[in-house]
Amino acid sequence: MSAPEHLLELRDVAKHFGGLYALSGLTFHVDPGEIVSVIGPNGAGKSTMFNVVTGLYGPDDGSIRFRGANVVGLAPNQVTKLGIARTFQTVHLFPNMTILENAMVGQHCRTRSGVFGSIFRLPGTRREEQRIRERARESLGFFGSRLAGYREEQPASALSYANRRRLEMARALATEPALVMLDEPTAGMNPSETLELRDHIVRMRDELGLTVLVIEHDMRVVKGVSDRVVALDYGRKIAEGSYDEVANDPQVIEAYLGTKAAG
Amino acid sequence: MGGVPTRSIVRAGLLGGAGAIYVALVGLYTKFADLELVGEQVTLGRVLIVAPAFVAAYAVTRPRVVAGERHLVALRGGLAVGALSGLIGAGLFAAALWFADWFGVDRIREVFVAITEPLVDFLTFDKGVPAGLPILIVLCAAGGVVGGFVRTAPAAIRRPASAGVLAVILLGLLQRIIPIVFVQLGFEADWLYERGAGLTWFGGLIVFVVAAAANALWNQDGGRTRERVRRNVGKAPAAKVGLFVAILAIMTILPLLLGTAISEVLGSVMIYVLLGLGLNIVVGYAGLLDLGYVAFFAFGAYTTGLLTGAFLNTTTGAATPALSADLNFYVAVWIVALLAAGVGLLIGAPVLRLRGDYLAIVTLGLGEIVSVLTASKWAQPLIGGPQGMRGVTKAEVFGLNFQDNPQHFYYLALAFVLLAAFVSWRLSTSRIGRAWNAMREDEQVADAMGVSTTKFKLLAFALGGAIGSMGGALFAVSIGSLTPASFEITVSITALAVVIIGGLGSIPGVLVGALVLIGLPGLLREFEEYRPLIYGGALVAIMILRPQGLVPNVRRSRELEDEEVSQDAWSRDAKGEAEAVAAVLPGGGLGVEREDLE
Repeated sequence: MSAPEHLLELRDVAKHFGGLYALSGLTFHVDPGEIVSVIGPNGAGKSTMFNVVTGLYGPDDGSIRFRGANVVGLAPNQVTKLGIARTFQTVHLFPNMTILENAMVGQHCRTRSGVFGSIFRLPGTRREEQRIRERARESLGFFGSRLAGYREEQPASALSYANRRRLEMARALATEPALVMLDEPTAGMNPSETLELRDHIVRMRDELGLTVLVIEHDMRVVKGVSDRVVALDYGRKIAEGSYDEVANDPQVIEAYLGTKAAG
Repeated sequence: MGGVPTRSIVRAGLLGGAGAIYVALVGLYTKFADLELVGEQVTLGRVLIVAPAFVAAYAVTRPRVVAGERHLVALRGGLAVGALSGLIGAGLFAAALWFADWFGVDRIREVFVAITEPLVDFLTFDKGVPAGLPILIVLCAAGGVVGGFVRTAPAAIRRPASAGVLAVILLGLLQRIIPIVFVQLGFEADWLYERGAGLTWFGGLIVFVVAAAANALWNQDGGRTRERVRRNVGKAPAAKVGLFVAILAIMTILPLLLGTAISEVLGSVMIYVLLGLGLNIVVGYAGLLDLGYVAFFAFGAYTTGLLTGAFLNTTTGAATPALSADLNFYVAVWIVALLAAGVGLLIGAPVLRLRGDYLAIVTLGLGEIVSVLTASKWAQPLIGGPQGMRGVTKAEVFGLNFQDNPQHFYYLALAFVLLAAFVSWRLSTSRIGRAWNAMREDEQVADAMGVSTTKFKLLAFALGGAIGSMGGALFAVSIGSLTPASFEITVSITALAVVIIGGLGSIPGVLVGALVLIGLPGLLREFEEYRPLIYGGALVAIMILRPQGLVPNVRRSRELEDEEVSQDAWSRDAKGEAEAVAAVLPGGGLGVEREDLE
């Protein structure tokens, strides 16, 4: 354990649904301060990998360690508390809560007010509530004025699609994570929004000091942000390395384009 | 006709007729034939003759969407469609009556016990079958016309008119309360109410005019006054406090004005407010559908009996329960609440993984288990089984008797209600309330965002259970003796209906829901045997007309309000109007963000 530790390390992780192997023998790692992209065709197991890491599913085999500590078997909220925050492939906000409240939920795992404190509004609870609000505003502020000001009090359902995605990321940031896992953050965004988001991902690392693991289909984004790219197909890692290495890997090309007429 | 398909008119008319026949079959007409609302002529029974045709016409003249466009029915078309559907319904109703007369009322009565000669006399206005039927038909057609009118007339007319009519009916129904209040306040009531009956004609007219005028003022300048008041009352802290103080003041003096008999009803309203507040935490805040809430009610009642030294009823006389303590009520009730929180954890633990329908079914079963246990031989040495317990403490303090004096009991219950409401309010606006909210909206995502769903589900069950058990404790004090008949599934259903009709997640809603569901039927003894029918009808009506409940949770009402305003702006399709709305609404009026318009 004396060697420099990986932030997140998956070893031989397998997950199957009935007879379908969504992940098998998956091994890779993420180091602190890296931006790692995960690519692969639809059904390659990318989102399943996210779900397994964040505790939504338990893996059938293998180990997952975060900062050296075992993550397998933890409930999603415990994983979040350890410092892994995520977004979802299809946006999942709390639509009837306000934008600020959505972000404030993110602060939940960093705070501890209980029943008595809440009923009697003890000074500690009030201070904590104040802090929750400030931190939530900070996370919303990461996206400039888009989620700030008058918008704070609007229900999340009133937001445009791109802003919903941003709010989902702000909510993840509000959990004060070390590792942010973004599941197709640019899906459904227009080209200019996509470009902007690319900068946001980079800023998450440069300004907030976070490590980012991102599933992405848009190759311009992948090329623009990635320190390293991991390519999956049929639940296996088929390539890993810099963008150029992976993009030119014959197996990756085959996975995306299919085999040449094999006869 | 008037833009409404003929098939729809016929169908609505026939449904209206079938509705009237149903009302006749369950015996509502005969029951309410003599309940006078205004003068001697307008009885509740006669209102019920008109009502099915009214509802049918109101429903069938609704705006329709044709090829993506919303078409309103014009006034003239609305009246004609209403009349036609009323006539069709009346035809069916009259035919059924004719058939009953021809076939023999006594022979039908063997199956449908409510079909009697007095019913036929009532429906034919004492003129016999062929002669009285035209009156019936004309009346139903008129009901249809009114239904069409209420839907299609200009808002400036139909709103005040509807408000006036509703006020007259409501005050007519409250004939046993309002005169008492008047007399208690030192006013004459004779001009308003007939002695021991409904409103006088003059009184009815006054009520109508006052209500209509008030409504017109409320809605003047296109509802802007209304919107402003609603916004300010909803948001400004001073207005909120003022409203709260006013409600509290009314609740405090109410039993003094209404006297003993009605205070008894108010006492049971308060018990259900307590149950509703507890269930609201489980269902309204945490989103866990609990159909077995009676478990906590029963637990609270019986544990209170045990802890305060009640006796078992046995065939040989009173006996001391197997487990018994002789505590003061005010000590015991906290122990009861604490134990009930423990029971909440026990009930919550096995259902943690269940959601929605499955959760509802399992809690239903757990509630039934508790109901059955209260009546079981097995639990007889402890809580008396079928014979139950008696001699529950009167919780006397400062010489006040909370068992034999309903007015005193009301205040005891009010104190507990205020406590429970305070706890609910503080929790709902805290980190805990936020966690429940997130969990209710999307459990999996809340979990992924760091909310321990296990912990917060159990917390909801424990707190909800504690408050529900206090309802049970108060119930035990108020009636003094406990039998299993008081702890059946109807308690769960009623408490849930109170929460839903009031508005899920809304504290004032619980109060309104309990007043409507427990208070109104309790005030009119005639309603008593139709309680389940009224609950069913009220639930269906609320779900269709106002699914967010009578007094919705602020969050949801804000949303619906914005939506409504945006829609109005949209339909007016006038730039100036839209801008005015955009100025009022911080979000930029049409539910579209400014940024995205650029």
